[in-house]
Amino acid sequence: MKVILEGKGLAKWYQMGEVKVEALRGVDFQIYEGEFVVVLGPSGSGKSTMLNMIGGMDQASAGELYYLQEPLHLANEKKLTAYRRHAVGFIFQFYNLMPNLTVLENVQLAAEIAAHPLDPYAILAEVGLEDRAGHFPSQLSGGEQQRVAVARSIVKNPEILLCDEPTGALDFATGIQVLKLLKKFQQGYGKTVMVITHNAGIAQMADRVFQMKDGLLAKVYSVEKPIAPEEVSW
Amino acid sequence: MLKRKMLRDLMENKLAYSACLVIITIGLMLYTSISIVMDNLYEAKDNFYREARFADGFARIRGMPEAQVSRLAAIEGIAEIEGRLVKDVRVLYPEQEKNVYLRLVSLPGDKANPINTPLLMEGSPLNQNTREIWVSPSFFEAQGLALGEQLPLLVEGRALSFTIVGTAQSPEFVYAMRTGRELYPMPETFGIAYLPFAVMKTLFQEGDQVNDLVFLLQPGYGYSDVEERLKPRLESYGLLSIFPRENQASHLILSMELQQLEGSATAMPLLFLGIAGAILYILLKRMVEQQRGQIGTLKAFGYTNGELVLHYLSYALWLGFCGGLLGGSLGIWLSFPFTEMYAIFFQLPGLSSQISYKYVGLGMILAFIFSALAGYFGCRAALKLQPAEAMRPAAPPPGHHTGLENWQFYWNLLTVQGKMATRNLFRNKQRSILTTIGIMFAFSMIATTWYFRTVAEILVFEQFALVQTHNLQVNFARPLSLQGVERELGRFPGVKRLEPMLEVPATLKYRWLEKDSVILGLPHDAFLYNILTDKGERVAPPREGIVLAQRLADELGTRVGAELLLESYWARDTLKVEVVGIVPQYLGSNGYMEIEALNKLLGLGSLATAALLSLEDEAIPALRERYREAKPVAVMEESGALLDTFDELMASFGYMQYVFAVFGFIIAFAIIYNTSIVSLSERKRELASLKVMGMTSGEVLQVLTFEQWLSSILGMLAGIPFTLVLMHAMSRAFATDLFSIPVRTEAGLFIVALLGTVFSVLVAQWTIARRIGGLSLVEVLKERD
Repeated sequence: MKVILEGKGLAKWYQMGEVKVEALRGVDFQIYEGEFVVVLGPSGSGKSTMLNMIGGMDQASAGELYYLQEPLHLANEKKLTAYRRHAVGFIFQFYNLMPNLTVLENVQLAAEIAAHPLDPYAILAEVGLEDRAGHFPSQLSGGEQQRVAVARSIVKNPEILLCDEPTGALDFATGIQVLKLLKKFQQGYGKTVMVITHNAGIAQMADRVFQMKDGLLAKVYSVEKPIAPEEVSW
Repeated sequence: MLKRKMLRDLMENKLAYSACLVIITIGLMLYTSISIVMDNLYEAKDNFYREARFADGFARIRGMPEAQVSRLAAIEGIAEIEGRLVKDVRVLYPEQEKNVYLRLVSLPGDKANPINTPLLMEGSPLNQNTREIWVSPSFFEAQGLALGEQLPLLVEGRALSFTIVGTAQSPEFVYAMRTGRELYPMPETFGIAYLPFAVMKTLFQEGDQVNDLVFLLQPGYGYSDVEERLKPRLESYGLLSIFPRENQASHLILSMELQQLEGSATAMPLLFLGIAGAILYILLKRMVEQQRGQIGTLKAFGYTNGELVLHYLSYALWLGFCGGLLGGSLGIWLSFPFTEMYAIFFQLPGLSSQISYKYVGLGMILAFIFSALAGYFGCRAALKLQPAEAMRPAAPPPGHHTGLENWQFYWNLLTVQGKMATRNLFRNKQRSILTTIGIMFAFSMIATTWYFRTVAEILVFEQFALVQTHNLQVNFARPLSLQGVERELGRFPGVKRLEPMLEVPATLKYRWLEKDSVILGLPHDAFLYNILTDKGERVAPPREGIVLAQRLADELGTRVGAELLLESYWARDTLKVEVVGIVPQYLGSNGYMEIEALNKLLGLGSLATAALLSLEDEAIPALRERYREAKPVAVMEESGALLDTFDELMASFGYMQYVFAVFGFIIAFAIIYNTSIVSLSERKRELASLKVMGMTSGEVLQVLTFEQWLSSILGMLAGIPFTLVLMHAMSRAFATDLFSIPVRTEAGLFIVALLGTVFSVLVAQWTIARRIGGLSLVEVLKERD
């Protein structure tokens, strides 16, 4: 299988006044094209830090990170922006939609900057929000907003979808709906999906699971038979 | 402890608060300096007028025996009246190209403290019998004279030498101009000289005649009561004009200047403090929103509402205090050169600047009021919060469709960033309105200052290139026959064209309004003095009726077709004349007729009081030499000389224009910068999400700048009519009988203002771009607003 992302001794520390806080203490990993990876770990284990670096939002303090042999740890701001623009889609716990753009416009906004975008209308239909296209985020429920966020990320047609606690702010039923969309994107388009969560239930639908603890990758394992999102429970 | 929090908060947004501080400082600096200069002028003027016993009324006559004057003192309402001789003579400077004139004013020998006593600045008293004179200090200085020096004058065709024994200043010539044709005093070519009546009367062979009267009123009497009684008594002596102190040229200009200063002293601080207040309001409002959590915590600790409001108010009050102190100090400092500048134009003895804390205090109070208001309205939201509610994050801002979206053509043209920007504009209506108004002010400030320069150039250019196309005007000492003038001057070598002119001082009346003016009689085919319509078309001097300057027509409340009454000492009776045209006139305010028609109307022969000449430049010195000592020639005026000095004046005043343009830039910058800072802090999260999505810093900046350009463009568009309103207001405020300022909408004006405004907007956006580049994506997205 083709390696899409590779980390070697990836580390990140923050200087907080006189104290050095080590968020990530040297991790090695490989992520393959088209797989569904779930990163598990308690808060403070370094999983968000890792995701931020993979997403091109933050630079490593030490170590190497490659996207298809491209060294991201050496990339300048311009290259990182292009990487975020064309290769990555981001989904946050708190949606981060533009409050004064409608649902459709939020999706179009992302489509406008992408090199090979998908059709915003089609994507909206796929996430089941075609009839809410003209609404503003403040008129939507949390689950609906997150579905807009998913649509916004997918429409760019990225290689990797990075999700930081995508169901963290949602109730069970809406959470499942969002997970179904993620799975659909992975299987339907053959793209890579990486989900960060401290919800162990979600790990059952992954191809592989990374377990993090104290800034280190404690355990990596493959799931024999990933279950369908509908069967996930927590 | 809260004080420390305040200082740190202020430091965090140094540039934003500094910009605010600068605007407050500028406002108060202008306020303090203008007010102090105004006080200085008022004080010097009042003292001087009182000490020198400045006349309440003036009259010019052809001639009246001196002995008759004292009889007029018996007229009810007149406290004192004096007769004088006032004559313009030429200074004989053989080596000098230009003509220099001196106005001789006689002083009564028997009176220690006459009306309009000249204040002796240096030198010794005048001898009553020998040819000794005092000259005006500005003339003394400009000519490089020395006490005891002999000054040769051409009096009645004779060269006579006078000894300068002192310099003296009279309240009558604080702003000394020879005729209404100049725009400002030119001591290089014109000065005043004082000498005893006993000496002066021997110079002019007119016996004991006086040609000028000055009088003081008794307390409780108004000028018009006295004029009514005095006028008939003077008619038989050839009354040329009679006017109150209010219309005395020097006093009139000084009063107008004071009036303008008073206006500026009110308008400037209001404008600048208003803008600073609005910016401060927006900054504080945002800070309170941002510090919701902190406010909640402080309230939970037990801080009272009063303490919290005081805390947030203190930001504004500190700025008001610092701005007040800084502006006041700078204002005091600035008042010194300002006063000196006025001392160049207004010869007021004792005009000097002193440190005055009164206006610093008043300015601080003003600044405090503005900042307290801005602060209170900005932070009152903090009061309403309950602690528990305050600690919860604020509800997300709802999105709304705007009216513009129905305007499909515009809406479909926009990128999604443009749509965001358009909706943001409506989301923060207050802020958008402030930005628009601020840009409008900045734009208009640049445009109007530039307008004054262009207009001054237009004025001068038109006057000399289009209106007065002659290059020499020869004024006669007494009216000469047209044929004689033609014969004498028309054949002078080098003269290309000669046109006679008849200048008739007259009082024009329409219904209950009347106005003193000068009617110019010109040949029907006049070419050297052109009457132009506002479209620049020539109007021939009418053979029937009279053409009036716009200002004169306005003051008489008359229009084309109306019949005016005309009184003049050249005519025996009151005459009737019909208005046949009204034209704009920027320098002076006259009536125009065909010269023969005017002669006929007045019952004169064929007379001219001046000749306009177009001649070869090389011929001018020869002509001047030929007539230098000719008795019938009173004055020779060269157009070029006036133009040169005017250019000098414009150059020295030019810097004011740059100062105000800079103020405009500062305002535009401060507004754009501060609203950007606020938008940025409000929408950090939104903007960071855009960056995460893969937008470049430039694309993210576009969301903010698009919004700013929308309000800036609106502001600049609003600035065009606003500039016109300002220009009309200023044109009205500055218009006098001497000159009026045309309102011209030159495209260049608006282009300069546009460039200036756009430049400051770009500078502000550039500083914001750097902040966006530095946005940390991780941190912004981690925190929940």
